[in-house]
Parts: sequence; structure tokens; C-alpha cells
Amino acid sequence: MNQQNIPLLSVRSITKRFPVRTGLLGKRIWKTAVNEVSFSIEQGSTLAVVGESGSGKSTLALMALDLLAPTAGDILYQNRPFSDRSREERRRLRRDMQVVFQDPYASLNGRMNVREALTEGMIIHRLADSPAEREERALQLLRQVSMPPESLDRYPHEFSGGQRQRIAIARALSVNPSFVVLDEPTSALDVSVQSQVLNLLRRLQKENNLTYLFISHNLEVVSYLADNVAVMENGSIVEMGSVDDIFDRPQKEYTKKLLQAIPAIDLLRGHNEEA
Amino acid sequence: MHSPILKVQNLHTWFETPTGTARAVDGVNFELYQGETLAIVGESGSGKSITALSLMQLVPEPAGYIEKGSIFYKNRDLLDLTWEEMRALRGKDIAMIFQEPMTSLNPVLTVEKQIVEAMQVHGTATGAEARKRAVDMLNKVGIRSPQQVVRQFPHELSGGMRQRVMIAIALSNNPQILLADEPTTALDVTVQAQILDLLASLQKELGMSMLLITHDLGIVARVAQRCCVMYAGQIVEEAPTSELLKNPQHPYTRGLLASLPSRARRGQELYTLEGVVPPPTRWPKGCRFALRCPNRMDICKNVLPGETALSPQRRVSCHLYNSDSAEAAVPLENPS
Repeated sequence: MNQQNIPLLSVRSITKRFPVRTGLLGKRIWKTAVNEVSFSIEQGSTLAVVGESGSGKSTLALMALDLLAPTAGDILYQNRPFSDRSREERRRLRRDMQVVFQDPYASLNGRMNVREALTEGMIIHRLADSPAEREERALQLLRQVSMPPESLDRYPHEFSGGQRQRIAIARALSVNPSFVVLDEPTSALDVSVQSQVLNLLRRLQKENNLTYLFISHNLEVVSYLADNVAVMENGSIVEMGSVDDIFDRPQKEYTKKLLQAIPAIDLLRGHNEEA
Repeated sequence: MHSPILKVQNLHTWFETPTGTARAVDGVNFELYQGETLAIVGESGSGKSITALSLMQLVPEPAGYIEKGSIFYKNRDLLDLTWEEMRALRGKDIAMIFQEPMTSLNPVLTVEKQIVEAMQVHGTATGAEARKRAVDMLNKVGIRSPQQVVRQFPHELSGGMRQRVMIAIALSNNPQILLADEPTTALDVTVQAQILDLLASLQKELGMSMLLITHDLGIVARVAQRCCVMYAGQIVEEAPTSELLKNPQHPYTRGLLASLPSRARRGQELYTLEGVVPPPTRWPKGCRFALRCPNRMDICKNVLPGETALSPQRRVSCHLYNSDSAEAAVPLENPS
């Protein structure tokens, strides 16, 4: 796998609580969404966070992106905590950290054509000086995600779900990030399209030495793409390890339950491949 | 084999759209037998959900209509029934559950009212008897505190609980056939497994037949004995589930199975089906899968393949298996 042992992202015992009110005049109580979670991700590797809805995985992703401050604990990016950095420095880090969401229908601005979507980040982060340079770079991004150059002048609604997700990926890559959060990137896609996007993510990771935090509830996808897996339940990581550890030697009841819920097709297919 | 409880023949359900006639379901044939689970699996736009809605005659009108075909249930063609006769059948003999229980449950009625209503409409039970039966039904679908849940509203329940309530409503009239359209797609994996196991055990207990509409081959593997694969408005392959998964015949089915991610395929490029499903207003003249097919032959472009029976239980619509056109056929390599 990966020889480099430098963690790009290191999360140390972070907790996030949200205030919630009970009833109309109810007291304010605190709900713990993420509870003392620690992990680190090596450069160029993929950590998958699996868990069910409400387990805190998306809150965790927002904190890893410095879009939400933890109530307690530290997040180190390239060995320095977010909290030690200046505002300007944190703004510049936004370029280095990108996210691809589940639903490309919702995450792309319907009023921006693909050219605008792909060049907006370059303008904001001053990555390309001239329009010609941006155009060149946008075309290169489209090539990377296997989309035709004519796409530049078209709008999101003109594309299928899988194409839109490729555009969303191209947009994330437009600012040369090192770290990409993938929040259920293939859950809204058909099986035949899912494989295209997974191949793309794998290829882009290799080519650009990207580090992925991969949020998913689909264990088959996780077992295909991830290096390490963290299992979340009720805001805590209950078990963490390599894909082989988690799938072959699960320790916790909850992990076993998740694994048992994987549809039986794997056995049948395994059989098919041996033949 | 005994006679089918439901026999769908040459079903065509079309929609008039601004861009032309969308032939969403375009010549579907299948049979559903007593006590079995038959899955119709397909990707978005394949016509699987419209097939289910057609059986219930709930296709959104006036844009959509059943152009031709027949749906035999108990030796009667449902398409010959009057609206009133069909209404008496719907929810009683044939019940349906949908993907998102929050949108199919009534948000302003308690769970009890909604289950009781289903029984009252069909005269299955009324009054105190219906209320008692509502609690029994909740018990049956594995809700642990039914006395409490009957008084609750849908928003007070979790997604899994809501889907259980939906199932309780659907089964309250002891239907012969349950149509389940993506019943677990909106649920978490562990809840999904529970609901599928619940459906399977209830089906056995009640002896009903289930038609499961899904995009997920994993779900098919888990609950269905037989499976029809739909592509572009037609069934391209039908087989017992285990045979279909072990030995898929249609290039589309092969491609679908080969494109599934798994641990065994780590580090490998996944197989991809290039291209997209053509729009339903403009199906190609020949095989609808031809443009994406790795085994395409000359004939595929112009001639729509007919069904070829591979065994009493298996059929496939592909020129590779048609003896008249097979001289050009190359032996199939399993993609991947």
C-alpha cells in the first residue's frame, strides 16, 4: 500500500455538541454529535468512515474540512492545528481541502455553466492569471474526468447524474487539493455509473496523490476503495482498522451487524469469479 | 409448475411528453407464481416502477396510459375491469408499498387511523375489531410497543418504523400479491436487512406472492427466488436468482454484475458499461442495448431480438442466443 507514513490529517479526541431545545419552553440541552473521536489519515491513502444516519459521520467531515469548529479537541492538518492558524492561512487552506457531495443535482449551481463552475475556484484562489490559462486548465480537468470539451458551455441540468458527479469531481480538483472529502459520492448513482465514478476516483487518487476521507454506508464500495475503515456509532468510533481487519476480524457487535447486513451477493459472485 | 397468480402479457405503458411518446414500458411479459418472490431489477429509467404502477393501474394520467397488453389475475384481465372493480381490488387483493414511507403515509393521521382506514374501505374489519387488528398488524411487523405506536403520527417514527407501518397497512387486508417498489432504498443498511427479512418471513407466513422492484442486485440475491432484468422498457433476461448471479447470459446483466465493487476487486479497474440508456422517446430500432454492448453484431443495430428460451425457467432477449442469428456469435468472455 502506502510507504509514506506522514499523516496529512490528524484528529485528536474531538467532540462536537449541539444545543437543542426540548419543547416550546423546554430547557436547552446539549446533544453530542461526535464524541472524542481520534484518527489520522496518511497522505495518499483513503480512510472510510462508515455508520448509519445520525452516527455523526457528516459532522465529522465538516470538522475535518475546518467548516465547523469542534467543541473540544484538536484537528491537525499537515501537523499544525487549525486553531493555531491565522484566518488568512485557514482561508488559503480551503483550496487544499475539497469536498464532493452525494447529490450532484444539489451541489452544482444550476445557473453556472460548466466553465464557470470549473474556473470559479481558480479565480478565488488566484491559480490562473489569464482567462486563456483558466480555459486551458478547465479543458484539462474535463479530460481528466472523461467529459467532452463541449461540456464547458453547458449547464448542470443538461447532464445525467453520473456526468454531473464527474463535473463535481472536476470542480473539486480545479484548485489542486491534497485532501478530498467524499461524502457518499456514488449513493445517488446507478450501478453502471457508480463503477465509472469509482474508477475515476481511484485513478485521480493515484495520479495526484490525493488523500480521501470517504463517508459511506455502502460497505461493498468501502471494501473496494478504502485502505482503512472507521466504524461510527452514536458519535463515537467503535472500531477502526485496515479493510482486512474490519472485514475479516471484526471485534465489535455493531461492526458484525453491519457486515451481516451486506447482501449475500458477494458469496455468489465470489463463486463466479473462481470459476 | 402450477398456474401463475399474475400473468402480464405484452404490456405497453406509454407517456405523451413534449418531446414525443415515451415508451416507458414497451412489451413486458412475466408471470408471478403463488408464494414466490419475483424481482424486477433495473436501473433508473428502465421502466420497472412504471411496470408496478401499471399493474395497479395507477399510472399518472392523462400523460401516461396503458397502450396495450393484458394483466391476468385470477383468470380475469385487470385491464378489462371498470374503475370501481379495480378500486375494490387495489389494496385488497393487490397491495403496494413504496420507497419513501414519509411521503406515502398521511402526516396528519395517527398510525391507527391509517391502518383502520385501509380495512374499512374494503370492509375487512370495522370499529373495535379493526382497531384490535391494527395492533395485531403492528405486532406482526415487529413493532415492539404497538399500543403506543398506534397513537403516534408518522413524523414521530424512525424511517424503519414508518416502513413497518406501511407494510402493516399493506398487509392489513391479507393481499394475494404485494408489490414492493424499492421498499428499503431510503433505509440504513441494518434496518434494510431487518425489513427484507421481515418481508420474507411475512410472505412465507401469509403465503402471498411478492413482486419486488429494485435497482439493487444485493437485495435480489437476498430475497427473490426469481429475477427479471429490465432495460429500456423491456425484460432482457429472466432466470432463477442464483442462476442469474452465477451465470448471467445477457451482455447487460453480465456488465452490471461485473461493475459491482467488492473487496475481491480491490486495486482493479471495475468493468464499466459505456454510454447511457437512450431516452424513452427514441428507442433505437434494433436491440436497445446495442450501442453499449461489447458483443454487438451487425444484426443488433436493426433487429430487435426476440425472446429465446434457454431452459423452462430461463429466457434471454439477445441475438447471441438466437439460433437464426447466432452464426456470427462469438463465445462470450466474462467481462472483468
